[in-house]
Amino acid sequence: MKATTRWIVIGVLVGVGLAGWGTSWYVYQDAASQNAALIETAPTAEVQSQVTQALTQVLTYDYNDPEATEEAAQRLLAGDAYEEYETLYAALAEQAPDQQLTLTAQVQAVGVTELRDDRAEVLVFLDQSSRREGDEEASVSAAQIAVGAQLDGDVWTITDLRVL
Amino acid sequence: MAEAEAQTEEARSDEVQAEGTAPPEDRPPRRAAGGWAAWLGIGVAVVLALSGVLAAWAALNDDTIERAETRDAVLVRATQHIETLNTLDYRELDAGLEAWTDASTGTLRDQLAGVPDEEKQMLAEQQMISSGEVVEAAVTDLDDDTATVIAAVEVTVTDDSDPDAEPTVKRNRFSAELLHEDGDWKLESLQQVSVSLS
Repeated sequence: MKATTRWIVIGVLVGVGLAGWGTSWYVYQDAASQNAALIETAPTAEVQSQVTQALTQVLTYDYNDPEATEEAAQRLLAGDAYEEYETLYAALAEQAPDQQLTLTAQVQAVGVTELRDDRAEVLVFLDQSSRREGDEEASVSAAQIAVGAQLDGDVWTITDLRVL
Repeated sequence: MAEAEAQTEEARSDEVQAEGTAPPEDRPPRRAAGGWAAWLGIGVAVVLALSGVLAAWAALNDDTIERAETRDAVLVRATQHIETLNTLDYRELDAGLEAWTDASTGTLRDQLAGVPDEEKQMLAEQQMISSGEVVEAAVTDLDDDTATVIAAVEVTVTDDSDPDAEPTVKRNRFSAELLHEDGDWKLESLQQVSVSLS
């Protein structure tokens, strides 16, 4: 094979190779494919279930057993979410024993909006009932919460809570 | 670099011409070295080309990307449709109701298309302007042609019969089912997620 021919062949092959890899890179650059929510079904289900459990535990409160909630918060909340919770919790812990306050949280619906590597954004519809001493019935409120979560090992920790 | 390569090539063709006269112990290693480099270069280029073609083929046929794009398309359409169904202006009632039917399909469409005249009359007399905005939404289930979306919605209602009235903002939460139909996603159902503690 002549030198020039060889260089043309090599040039064409390199061009084809680069175009191929470029196409692949371009396709995966696409924003949609960077988000694994509902694409990787097992991790998506895992985030959903862990965030559901975490929120339920952290937003359920019994004046007889405030330590359970505090312990859950320390374990499952971090960053801004934990700081906000601390502020809220301090006020709660002051009033709760006198009022004999209990709070019960239940998640109605949950959906993962973003999932990439160790970060997730989750939308949660949650109900919380509160009952004070002397209340005939618990009063129930509905909340829509945007949750930011971070994966540490195999535990999803809630780092942001935004009530919508 | 190309020049250098061309020179060795020349050297080699000289060599070929001079075949038989050159010392035999000199030739085979030199030719082998030139040939080896040339074929290595081509070999590497072939590997690069093949791997590139394979990578592009794999990427273009990766159905997770299609699924991701479907998910995002569902979210966009669901958001638009849910906003549409939470928006109505009594001054443009027919246009509003038409938008409702355009956004829906199946029994929901039938319901929305069949709003009786008395009800339209009532809506017109109430003089309400409502405007829905999806604050946050998530796809919770996704199949080839059905999907479920949950959405937190803010509905601003203005009472136009009372000039002093401030708009009121209601926060609602919805669960919607969508159906893929004629290349588009439409609402098959839209329900409030009611408060229920068990």
